[in-house]
Amino acid sequence: MAPLSDPSCHPGAGDVALPADRPNAEITPIVALVGPPNSGKSTLFNQLTGLRQKVANYPGVTVEKHIGTARLPDHRALQLVDLPGTNGFAARSMDERVTRDVLEGRVRGLRAPDALVLIVDSTRLETQLMLVEPTLKLGIPTLLVLNMADELEQRGGAVRDDDLAEQLGVNVVRTNARAGDGLDQIRDFLIGVADRGLLPPRPGPALSNIVTGTPLPMVDQFTERRRRIQEIGRAAGFVLPRGSQLTEQLDGLFLHRIWGPLIFLAVVVLVFQSIFTWAVPLMDGVQILVAGSGAWMAEWLPESWIRALLIDGVWAGVGSVVVFLPQILVLFLFLGLLEDSGYMARAAVIADRTMYRVGLQGRAFLPLLSGYACAIPAILAARTVEDERDRLATIFVTPFMTCSARLPVYALLIAAFIPERQLVGPFLGTRAATLLGLYILGALTAIATAALLRRTLLRGQRDSFFMELPPYRIPSVRSIALRLYDRSRIFLRRAGTIILAVAIVLWFLTQVPQSGGAPPSIDDSFIGQMGQMIEPVLRPLGFDWTIGVGLISALAAREVIIGTMGTLYRVEDPTQGSLQLQDALRSHLDLGAAVGLLVFFAFALQCMSTVAVMRRETAGWKWPILQFSYMLTLAYGFAFFANWLI
Amino acid sequence: MRPIQSASHDPTATEPHLVDIRLREVVELVRINLPTDQMEPLLERGLLPGCQLCQVRQSPSGDPIVMVDGTLLAIRREVARCLCVRRPGSNGA
Repeated sequence: MAPLSDPSCHPGAGDVALPADRPNAEITPIVALVGPPNSGKSTLFNQLTGLRQKVANYPGVTVEKHIGTARLPDHRALQLVDLPGTNGFAARSMDERVTRDVLEGRVRGLRAPDALVLIVDSTRLETQLMLVEPTLKLGIPTLLVLNMADELEQRGGAVRDDDLAEQLGVNVVRTNARAGDGLDQIRDFLIGVADRGLLPPRPGPALSNIVTGTPLPMVDQFTERRRRIQEIGRAAGFVLPRGSQLTEQLDGLFLHRIWGPLIFLAVVVLVFQSIFTWAVPLMDGVQILVAGSGAWMAEWLPESWIRALLIDGVWAGVGSVVVFLPQILVLFLFLGLLEDSGYMARAAVIADRTMYRVGLQGRAFLPLLSGYACAIPAILAARTVEDERDRLATIFVTPFMTCSARLPVYALLIAAFIPERQLVGPFLGTRAATLLGLYILGALTAIATAALLRRTLLRGQRDSFFMELPPYRIPSVRSIALRLYDRSRIFLRRAGTIILAVAIVLWFLTQVPQSGGAPPSIDDSFIGQMGQMIEPVLRPLGFDWTIGVGLISALAAREVIIGTMGTLYRVEDPTQGSLQLQDALRSHLDLGAAVGLLVFFAFALQCMSTVAVMRRETAGWKWPILQFSYMLTLAYGFAFFANWLI
Repeated sequence: MRPIQSASHDPTATEPHLVDIRLREVVELVRINLPTDQMEPLLERGLLPGCQLCQVRQSPSGDPIVMVDGTLLAIRREVARCLCVRRPGSNGA
């Protein structure tokens, strides 16, 4: 079973180790990275700490503080805190509150920072500098980093760093964080921070967009600040760069009235078709490796219960899941390209009217999209949604988005039950279309549920949506490769922990009670008896007890069901030469029940980690329990309907 | 894009609203007719009175995409109807 509080789908999605957990001797200065969204804080953080927090080309990727250690050239260490981006200190949304609380020193176990690195996108310096004034009010050493300086220069913009530094009274450096340029100057600043050591404890400052106690209304305070920033910009010779030519041209296409939505559709179809076509040669390769290793083990291990455990339990269980790694990677390759290029924000704009009609915030679209990878980071990402009722509606419907753990289950069942035929020439086959249909089913249910919630439990007014569209950038090979590598590690780690453990336990449960030293038939084994107890509940859906056991084991994580079926069917029929899970499934399910099982997976909240994160993000059991029951009811109802219909 | 009768939204205003402005025309933002809590995020992103803005295109659903100080912002037309603007050279408040 997955550790409940561990959002195991996503690297760095969970709580972070706070320095307070460590011995006192290691207390080191804390430097916080602050700045507007999508200015490159996490990229810089990763460069300085060697960690790999998620980065992408849209605002709102980081929604939690992350702490890492930066080693200086002289081997001293500093704690760096990467913070969610913020445009101001009104702290309307949860992620902005995280940033404010860290800066004000109000987080338990984390001292207020001893220095700040303020990172801004230098191509739109004046807007970004609006954050400088309130930040400097904190009165701690600050370094201003003009990031994306390469883009500023390429597009004919300019600023004199020295004059800017003099005007603002802070040190200024230029960087291109993606390429790692300018990092040495940041390290110089960090050396200075380490030399000074910890700041003495001080009364907690309060951050705010506005100065209270002045007669000026908020708008005028902003215009005043803006006037001062513009003066500073003028004195520092700031020249606004030309608009990005590439962005101009691509937007002309991707946001075109007719081409835009068509391209959107084509991109989606391409992704699904690729999952079934590109991934096939890779899957065959993995399959050969898995089958070969199984045959090798079978040959070399002496006949004993250990051999049976390793081959019928572990190899059949874990191996059945591992073969789906290539499909997961194809999905993440596309997600990575879409996120890093800047297309995602455009997709959000195209979909915004639909979101508006159902009453969801447009801002909810990006968290929902990230739900295609895993619901857990998506639920966290909903922190960027400002209105609390909007946020609750968003996280409630997030698990309907088809997460990558469902993909292997879908792929297996579709390959077993849907014959491949061309639908739209070579562009779309029946299998890809079925997969696409399941994704659409999830998305439509999410939208319908959101509309229902906004008219019942979570009524509220509509917001004034706007979204920043970042310039298009060419995704770096390194960044995409790292994502795929991290994703493979997560997938294989799950296969090596949860799925392995389930396979071992299951195998033992198939071997007892023994009679006369021989294992029982699978129907008489403990697991068989347990399964038959729940079978009456699942009969109306066309599922037998093996599927029932699979569904229960899938509560740990959805793809576990494949491992479970692999182990159970192997024990049932050890003559299976290779991983012929598809054949075994066909003898246990008819088409109606198979469609029912697909639909069940589309709807059911088969993931305890998601339930745990829901509890944490809603501070109570009410929402997770409601969500679990609602999704289970839908799953059961629609699976019943599918089985009855077909 | 159809011009919206701006007067129906703010009877006191004679200025055009952002929805009345042609694509690519650079205008100055005069006032935001939104409650403070909805206005603040716009202010933080540099969409504040006195700034120059230009609608560079429309989204497929007809919502404006504007350029403010080097930032591209997609806003809904409901919000654009609340942005009073002034053409450069025109007299006014």
